[in-house]
Amino acid sequence: MELFVNQVLAGLATGAIYACMALAVVMIYQAIDSLNFAQGEMAMFSTFIAWQLLQWGMPYWAAFFFTVGISFVAGVLIERVVFKPVQKADILSHIVIFIALFAIINSGAGYIWDFNIKPFPSPFGTRELFGQRLISSHDAGMIGISILMLILLYLFFAYTRVGLAMRAAAANPESARLAGIRVGWMLALGWGMAAAIGAVAGMLIAPRVFLEPNMMLSILLYGFAGAVVGGLTSPLGAVIGGVSVGVVENLAGTFIPYVGRELKLTIALALIVAVLTVKPTGLFGRTVETRV
Amino acid sequence: MTARNEPLSVPIIASVGAVVIVLLPYWKQILLAFAVAVAIVLAFTLKNFYLFQLTLALIYALAILGLNLLTGYNGQFSLGHSAFFAIGAYTAAILMEQGNVPYYWTLPVAGFVCLVSGYLFGLPALRLEGIYLALATFALALAMPQLLKFTPLEHWTGGVQGIVLLKPEAPFGLNISSDQWLWLFTVGVSVVMYVCAYQLIKSRTGRAMMAIRDNPIAAKSMGIDLSLYKSLTFGVSALYTGVAGALAAIVIAFVAPDSFTLVLAIGLFVGMVVGGAASIVGTLIGGLFVLYVPNVAEYFTKGLSGAMYGLILIGTIYLMPSGAAGLFRLTLHRLITRLASR
Amino acid sequence: MTAILLEAKRMDAYYGPVQVLYGIDIEVVSGGITTLLGANGAGKTTTLRSLTGMTDTKGEIRFDGHSIAGHATEDIVRLGIAHVPQGRGTFVRETVEENLQIGAMTRRGGAQITADVERVYGYFPRLKERRRQQAGTLSGGEQQMLAVGRGLMLRPKLMLLDEPSFGLAPLLVQELFGILRTLNRDEGVSMLIVEQNAALALDLADHAYLIETGKLVMSGPSRELRDNETIRRSYLGY
Repeated sequence: MELFVNQVLAGLATGAIYACMALAVVMIYQAIDSLNFAQGEMAMFSTFIAWQLLQWGMPYWAAFFFTVGISFVAGVLIERVVFKPVQKADILSHIVIFIALFAIINSGAGYIWDFNIKPFPSPFGTRELFGQRLISSHDAGMIGISILMLILLYLFFAYTRVGLAMRAAAANPESARLAGIRVGWMLALGWGMAAAIGAVAGMLIAPRVFLEPNMMLSILLYGFAGAVVGGLTSPLGAVIGGVSVGVVENLAGTFIPYVGRELKLTIALALIVAVLTVKPTGLFGRTVETRV
Repeated sequence: MTARNEPLSVPIIASVGAVVIVLLPYWKQILLAFAVAVAIVLAFTLKNFYLFQLTLALIYALAILGLNLLTGYNGQFSLGHSAFFAIGAYTAAILMEQGNVPYYWTLPVAGFVCLVSGYLFGLPALRLEGIYLALATFALALAMPQLLKFTPLEHWTGGVQGIVLLKPEAPFGLNISSDQWLWLFTVGVSVVMYVCAYQLIKSRTGRAMMAIRDNPIAAKSMGIDLSLYKSLTFGVSALYTGVAGALAAIVIAFVAPDSFTLVLAIGLFVGMVVGGAASIVGTLIGGLFVLYVPNVAEYFTKGLSGAMYGLILIGTIYLMPSGAAGLFRLTLHRLITRLASR
Repeated sequence: MTAILLEAKRMDAYYGPVQVLYGIDIEVVSGGITTLLGANGAGKTTTLRSLTGMTDTKGEIRFDGHSIAGHATEDIVRLGIAHVPQGRGTFVRETVEENLQIGAMTRRGGAQITADVERVYGYFPRLKERRRQQAGTLSGGEQQMLAVGRGLMLRPKLMLLDEPSFGLAPLLVQELFGILRTLNRDEGVSMLIVEQNAALALDLADHAYLIETGKLVMSGPSRELRDNETIRRSYLGY
């Protein structure tokens, strides 16, 4: 029993990481109705920028907010420069562009900062809570910030005009244009926000997994799993989904023989497929009824 | 195990090929004969290494054809076809290594195993649309190397080190190298499979597949059984990629988990888009792209090869949004309209 | 001399390389209702889409003194044109009320907007009943009302309506066209209506155009077209 509780707590800690990433995933999905496979790499690159700023002597929180700002701008720029020319192309081409972005960013980071792992500081310290070496103050901080971002996102989308405009632009671009909404800029805004959230996620995750160019791929997948499990239209679902994925991964690793180290990603796959088979819109996703 | 010189493979491929080719329209038969002639000439003019590379390009093209059947013609995204490639490759490898099966018999078995596994994966995939399916297959591609390294299966899969095989010799005691023989063998198999794919697309089944892609609800209301067609397409698609994988195992004479990572899955997907989704001939361009472009990227920018690859990709999409096949059709269309308006 | 609010001169339109409209000359006077008639595929919808910058066009298009040819849709709309598209263009995931708010996205002044929402509910009480429902669950007729309402939220000078009667029960159509008449009379909203239902359209409009395979073949006051032999045979059925 005690082992079970411990593992749940440890899973919550890892799950917080996935929840952060899942939020960024849902954010971009809300904006562009598609998943960005380069999301993780963008977050990683942002974290490297923060690391560089810290190396140059900037205090932590200054570097943090500066990075978030730069990431926002970078996200907007990437959308306007890279995606705008291929807006009219089909989704297959879009996926290839995401792949290209992935390759460029990953390779670029490796070139600029090399592939050795680097430690990244945490603003929350690494005190052990509950005295079990399973959840540290940093993990609690991660969960706290994720929830905070979640609340901010919810308020933004539900109660602000810009939020509504963004939703409209993503849902029905043609109708949105007919309402005078500058759809292109809404897309860019979505990208910027997703990049900013990704930066926060990256900076929170790096202290736990150590900073290196390939750190985000499996986390991105778990983030996807969490977002999908929670329902791609729901930021709350993303957080809950992400945390659940962490807990399940940990429990499976402890209690099912051979799993864990060897088959972690297989678990993610099984989770995604299982949830989607039972509930295609995810646990919290809204089923949209459309008349044909 | 020694690669035996059994002549059986040649008559089998030849007869199946003949049956299937005879059903082609006249001028396509001529085109095909021309292509085969070119292939034979290449066999005797290129150096072994280049033939080996070309064989690989053709194998990738075949794998991309499999993916294209599923994504281009049936609208189901897959970013995980490296998994079926791996299943085909390992099936062939295990059969040859542990079962002493001659290499050419491994192809139908690998095909069958992949047909079944593709169909089985296609069943839960029925519930997944667009991006969700892309994601599930993405996870499949990531999971496959892990599964292949899985310790309890090591006895069969050879674990991290994989399985080393023997390269087959040419049959009938022909005085050609292994590479030349394998090139011709691959061409033979590919011709049969390409023509079968062509016939499939042109048939009622092919039209049903495309109807499902373009408007599933309308297709359903016309009486097309979506579940059956979609999962069968998954199976057939996996079959093609699996046979390609088996060929790869034979030609490279080695399989290991890290040959079948996400990089391969992405490569196949990219190859399909670059060649042109829903184009059979485009897959050949895709195969060449998969083989040569990463090398080109590496050649030009040592440390930033990934970035160069990405830039080439972006450039390709900007210039050819519908792939090489799309560009070809567009140019042809423009040419014809210009000639017609004279 | 009444002011011309919208005019297009020698307008050609293209879908990619294919030309679909040939030299369209069309105008809408300020405060008037004009209708564009034609059979399926004649180019009626394309004409409306071209006027709001949704296709590739050649030729002159002027609205309220400004040239709008080649401008982006969202900029044209901001000048005061509401386009109620074919197929309603509903935001299916959003609520009815949110749909209306989206329509007002280019306007300032929260109080004004809220007042306008109530005005739209005044015209369409059925929408008020469903204000918090997901718009995708509304019937075709209700979605049409919502689309018109969304257009109204722009406080437009001109409304372009694409087949407003499509798929609606006759009673609903009468209701809708009555509201359009009221809007024109009381609020001075000019209209350009594309309709397949010629009788209805000629009844409402002052001026009419007839389009066939991308070309204008007839134009004039609606009572003239109503009495015209060809129109009566081909489009009015008697």
